[in-house]
Amino acid sequence: MSARYSGLQREVFSLYRRALRMAHTKPAASRPKFELFVRYTFRTRAACVSPRDVAAIEYLLRRGRRQMEMYEDSKVRDCWVSAEMLQWGEQNRGRRADSRQS
Amino acid sequence: MQSVLARSSALRQNALKTSVRSFASSSARAQAVPSEKPVLNKQFKIYRWNPDEPGDKPTLQTYNVDLNQCGPMILDALIKIKNEMDPTLTFRRSCREGICGSCAMNINGQNTLACLCRIDRDSGKDTKIYPLPHMYIVKDLVPDLTLFYKQYKSIEPYLQNDNPPADREHLQSPEDRRKLDGMYECILCACCSTSCPSYWWNQDEYLGPATLMAAYRWMADSRDTYKAQRKEKLQNEMSLYRCHTIFNCARTCPKGLNPAAAIAKIKLELAAE
Repeated sequence: MSARYSGLQREVFSLYRRALRMAHTKPAASRPKFELFVRYTFRTRAACVSPRDVAAIEYLLRRGRRQMEMYEDSKVRDCWVSAEMLQWGEQNRGRRADSRQS
Repeated sequence: MQSVLARSSALRQNALKTSVRSFASSSARAQAVPSEKPVLNKQFKIYRWNPDEPGDKPTLQTYNVDLNQCGPMILDALIKIKNEMDPTLTFRRSCREGICGSCAMNINGQNTLACLCRIDRDSGKDTKIYPLPHMYIVKDLVPDLTLFYKQYKSIEPYLQNDNPPADREHLQSPEDRRKLDGMYECILCACCSTSCPSYWWNQDEYLGPATLMAAYRWMADSRDTYKAQRKEKLQNEMSLYRCHTIFNCARTCPKGLNPAAAIAKIKLELAAE
């Protein structure tokens, strides 16, 4: 795979990767919750803006980084997931398995 | 028994009579409606942007405010709009007397405090209100000042002295104290920094007038012994020397201070070393 991504796309990927790494450092009991939170937040935010709306994407990136700074703190050990997130997680279970295989 | 009843009914009648008389005899003037001031509508155009819909572009929203039903300052108009017309309008405010620096915004092209800025009574002209320029926006008129505060923190804005006097407070002569006048009054409203073109283009590295004035405030303090370290920190291309003496900071400062003069003094001290 040698797709060439724009700088902005790579920034988005690196933020997502950073978020997933953050979820991985959390205690095992709350890790699924963090993972669901990260995936849900990332996917819904990504879906709500046009890929051409650079200003909006940059804003979301900034906000995401701000949030990450807080979540990466080792004192944050648990997070809350809403019913909406759980429902979304159920619906998008297959997608996650796919992305793991590839 | 009958006499008691008769007495009570007589009393009641009496009471009724007095109350009726007091109402009938009150003067007509006391009941008159006070004369209303004429309606003086003025348009306020306010920058709106909602972070919950990141796809939407920022817009200017127009509000009509009757100036005769409103306080004299821009902040009064903003509070009136938020209370009576649009509770979603978002802005920072606290002291409403120009000492907290919360309500810094760009009013008619000038960075100033909304609580210190009078409303222009000319109803023909509209007033445009924007957040501080070249800052990331949190919502509507609320800018993200994280970087500004980080920069302020980076200059260590507190007294550093390795050998404090053992048994009493630090003493300072009136002359030494006078050197701090015109600097200690800064309330960190960020009006000056956000009006500086150099700060707009190099926010990440240039410290900006507010922070540099705070830095000089501690360099000029006779009680502080870390003067050399403070100077050392500014001795590079970006932190200080991005100031090109544009003087927007001195022109816009709502407290009437002169950050540009403080920066010039830092430059002089650094050059004299």
